[in-house]
Amino acid sequence: MRPKSILMAVAMAGILYVPAADAATTPERVKVTGEIIDTWCYVTEIMYALGTAHHKCAVWCAVGGIPVSIKDASDKVYMVLKVEDDDNSVANPKILKVQTHQVTVEGDLYVRDGVNYLIVNQVADDKGVVNMTHEDYGIQPFGE
Amino acid sequence: MNRFVITAALMLFAAGSASGAEGWGIDNEKKTRVDAKVVDLLCEVTGDCADNCGNGKRQLGLLLDDGRLVPVVKNQDIFAGAVEDLAPFCGKRITADGLMISNPKMPMFALQFKREAPDGKWSRANWYIKNWSKANPGKPGKDWYKHDAKVLELIAKDGVYGIPGLKPSE
Repeated sequence: MRPKSILMAVAMAGILYVPAADAATTPERVKVTGEIIDTWCYVTEIMYALGTAHHKCAVWCAVGGIPVSIKDASDKVYMVLKVEDDDNSVANPKILKVQTHQVTVEGDLYVRDGVNYLIVNQVADDKGVVNMTHEDYGIQPFGE
Repeated sequence: MNRFVITAALMLFAAGSASGAEGWGIDNEKKTRVDAKVVDLLCEVTGDCADNCGNGKRQLGLLLDDGRLVPVVKNQDIFAGAVEDLAPFCGKRITADGLMISNPKMPMFALQFKREAPDGKWSRANWYIKNWSKANPGKPGKDWYKHDAKVLELIAKDGVYGIPGLKPSE
């Protein structure tokens, strides 16, 4: 290969090379209000999975490492990957404490392949548990 | 006889290319066996990466050969996710066997079996309870959620409904 060809090949490689960090999608700054949910039970609908009726199960699942999400009023689901500089998204004690709470958060939204990934920059409001579903649904899933 | 049937079933499972997953009757589920790379979701999506996929403290997913990223949200253990099963394979290609759930709200994968691709040893996706039992000797792993210290502390503090003082009626 002649020197000119080598330079051309190097230049092309430079153009085509995309570092892993650059492969990430571009975020959108968002404000989300909704309930902290157990992603698995809510999305699959294997049981009723909102509010007080499902709180205990939501705690079990979050402690068990199932991803936690926020469900907004339009039923959009945002999977939480980071909260205020804390990148622990597996049974994070801070997140465990707010299961089922109604929160408003500000953060960066990354949408990829049909999933809304949320990086929470700030928890702006936490109203605690306000979705009183136990009178209609009892305690899910075992009734106790 | 039973041992023979189980052994034969496992041999067929290991040798085959079709999924050996069990259906859960979930809408939009599809039994799926697929080769994919295990990735740290936060790193893959935002570029915020950590050593060894966060050492079990970050949610993990499968990066498929067509470029699609799928979060793995469940393993075979009751009330448990799949991070314990996938973390040892961070950055590696595995063969994942389970349920691809193409839910319009959010696509996800429920892992039932895994092996390092292309021909590693199959194992069940039940390492949450396996690891929990090691960390909690003498406690029954199958009912881990009834005996876990973090669960008991949270329920004792906030109650089963998440509201301190609000209790189920007798």
